Amino acid sequence: MKKPGLKLNDISRNAAEPLTEINLDELTPLPPPYDKIEEQPGFKRLTEDQAERLVHNLDGVVSTAALPEPQDKEEEEKYVGQFLSGMKKLLSKENNWTFLQPLLLSLDYCAQCQTCNDACPIYLASGRNDLYRPTYRSEVFRRLVEKYARPLGRLRARLSGDDIELNWATVSRLYELSYRCNLCRRCAQSCPMGVDNALLTRELRKLFSQELGWAPKELHEKGTVLQLAVGSPTGLRPDVAKDNLQFLDEDFSEATGLDIHTPWDKKGADVLLIHSAGDIISFPESPISFSVICNAAGISWTLSSEIGGYDGVNYGLFYDDVQLARVARCHAEIARDLGVKKIVMGECGHQHKAFMTVADRTLTGDLNIPRESSMTFLENIVFGGKIKFDPAKNDFPVTLHDPCNVVRNLGIVEPQRRILRYLCPQFREMTPHGVDNYCCGGGGGLSVMSDVNFTDWKVHVAGRMKFQQVLAAFADRPGPEVKKYLCAPCLNCKLQFRDIFEYYGVKEKSGIIAGGLAELIVNAMTGLKKPFISWEDPA
Amino acid sequence: MSGIGWHIFTFSALGVALLLLFYRTVRLVRLPLHLRWELAPIPHEKGKSRYGGSYLEEYEWWRHPHRKSFFGPIFYMAQEILLLRAIWRHNRGLWPLTFALHTGIYLIILMLALQALNAILAATGVPPAVLGTFRAIAAVLAAAGYLLGAVGAAGLILKRALDADLRPFSSVARYVNLAFLLAVFVSGIYAFFTVADFSAEVSLFIKGLFSGDAATGLSAPLAAHAIILILFALYLPFTGMIHFVAKYFTYHEIRWNDTPLDKEMEGKLGRLMGQPVTWSAAHAGADRPKSWTETAAGEGHEKAGS
Repeated sequence: MKKPGLKLNDISRNAAEPLTEINLDELTPLPPPYDKIEEQPGFKRLTEDQAERLVHNLDGVVSTAALPEPQDKEEEEKYVGQFLSGMKKLLSKENNWTFLQPLLLSLDYCAQCQTCNDACPIYLASGRNDLYRPTYRSEVFRRLVEKYARPLGRLRARLSGDDIELNWATVSRLYELSYRCNLCRRCAQSCPMGVDNALLTRELRKLFSQELGWAPKELHEKGTVLQLAVGSPTGLRPDVAKDNLQFLDEDFSEATGLDIHTPWDKKGADVLLIHSAGDIISFPESPISFSVICNAAGISWTLSSEIGGYDGVNYGLFYDDVQLARVARCHAEIARDLGVKKIVMGECGHQHKAFMTVADRTLTGDLNIPRESSMTFLENIVFGGKIKFDPAKNDFPVTLHDPCNVVRNLGIVEPQRRILRYLCPQFREMTPHGVDNYCCGGGGGLSVMSDVNFTDWKVHVAGRMKFQQVLAAFADRPGPEVKKYLCAPCLNCKLQFRDIFEYYGVKEKSGIIAGGLAELIVNAMTGLKKPFISWEDPA
Repeated sequence: MSGIGWHIFTFSALGVALLLLFYRTVRLVRLPLHLRWELAPIPHEKGKSRYGGSYLEEYEWWRHPHRKSFFGPIFYMAQEILLLRAIWRHNRGLWPLTFALHTGIYLIILMLALQALNAILAATGVPPAVLGTFRAIAAVLAAAGYLLGAVGAAGLILKRALDADLRPFSSVARYVNLAFLLAVFVSGIYAFFTVADFSAEVSLFIKGLFSGDAATGLSAPLAAHAIILILFALYLPFTGMIHFVAKYFTYHEIRWNDTPLDKEMEGKLGRLMGQPVTWSAAHAGADRPKSWTETAAGEGHEKAGS
């Protein structure tokens, strides 16, 4: 099962060849009916043209974020020089005050005990491929810092034999390898020293982004840049977002028999709710559910149609402090100008973490507006007594996926569970769950990154442990004849589950669909003409 | 070594070690305020830490006082320090050896502290029977500490060298650290079993150091052990083995630091955000020197660097 050992300094050797490759028969096995490798679509290999154009020297996996091959040695050396300069800036108080203390502690105090490896779902799913150890990229980075950014580093590296060459192979592979991590921080939880490999991964991504200008297009150009310029990484402009949701209001009003109306730009409302615009496009039941619930509970609330105000995602969290702060400030400024009393996060995990905690210390003065999770907001409504529920309407097996950024990173564990225990008679937990959960495999921005063959990797490797968990949670009712609901209160998680479920045909084979928490709440409300949640494809 | 030689060697080495340790600690303390990066479970969360919950689970959390447990973090860290909780839970195969090593270190520290107390009590006229009991306890601690430590250090060297999971990631420095520790424990074992009354001689030596009795000398095995031990103390602050200091920061200042923005922080942040930023990517403000605040307030839709 285990591949022959990969050495740390292999990363700097033979820039043209992949360090490893993914073979489906080496991955940790899935249970029936997903255990037959020959029935699976397989792992796409690069075409000759792609192999020629794109850097693919890590594991043969590339996304549209793949780097183009440099033209010549000179260009390679330019990037190596930029990496070195970025590494030094990462260690400076002026350029990196934001994470300097966590970075230095994680660089300097790893005990090299490898305790964290078995906490990593990617490493486990890969069949314990050395390349995917959380410690592999961290230790390479650590030794590069020691050698190139610390006094007498080169001499000490030569004497000790802990010598890794900083060259094009190292730089290009480290860039790609920094996007083989979900930043879920399960490894950090297990570390006796408090070392955080996910933080080191993010710092690497930051170095590449803020110094070399390298970041996956889906996160930067088509992510934060598009969000700040147009309003959303989805490309939805304000008027289109508003039109779409107004259309959805009418559509769902007709379907449910409820009078659904979503308020926009209401100055002085108590609550500014910021959804992910991806929900409007891909999971419209989610924003509509919030409209139904807020109106039924008599909440004074609004959405914003300002640029950035209707999309709570903040991909800066995954790769870049500057973009993180810009997006967070954009959201806070909108709330300030509307004069709302608080901002409520939509069902989006990384929005929670970015806006409620990580960007908290960048939102000074009048930008420090109270921010609350949709989990506590919904719990308060559900148990507030203003809406009548009939839990029998949710009498189908339901399990809960814990988005890492809501649960492990923010400690919001119980509110969503109290709702599910109340409204879903067949609710069952996964193992492990809560703060010990596995990432869906789309964390760290990976859910929005896609082909060339990146989706194959996300589905087969990154999401594998979670997929096993989901199937195990419903193991008592495995067949498609029993309709089952995976509650995943996070857009990125739902996108990842959508990819996994489509890939393996999960709805057809197991009868499982993934959706949010608000949909389950609406489905349990009395007075609906027909069930809100449907296992049928929309006509 | 003469008595005065021991004084100079011991106190100067320990003095330099303490100064270095202090210096490295201060450097960590003086690192700038960072962005929040907490990680559940946080043991100070009263009533919630059991399952990893936080104050953010409260509806409109800012309207409620943050209920913190004083004993939660202490209990957690006591388990972590004394029982190596994280290794026990997540890396059971490594636990026996690392537990032996750490327990060995703790027992030797305890033995030395007891001997120091013994020396102080001796000067205050405490009855010899009491002092004798102390020395007997110290002897047991020493024997157990040296043996456990030696087993742990030797076992970890072998495990690092032979285990396919550990070998590729074990730096030379890691082996040097363990070898040095092994030398401390092995020399201690040798001294313990060759010196006629190990505990009494250690006691006399420490008493001599405290009282300024320059005539204090040591038998050769104990002298060798003392030199290795004192050199180790001097070496320690240059290494990552001061993780006992770093751990305060990784746990209390990062994993468990969930303090929301307040006025005091705003003052510090104002100074940090006023600093110039020199990142080179186009979107990060490479066109001209800007402060962090100016950079973060930028439009952010410049073309990406490449």
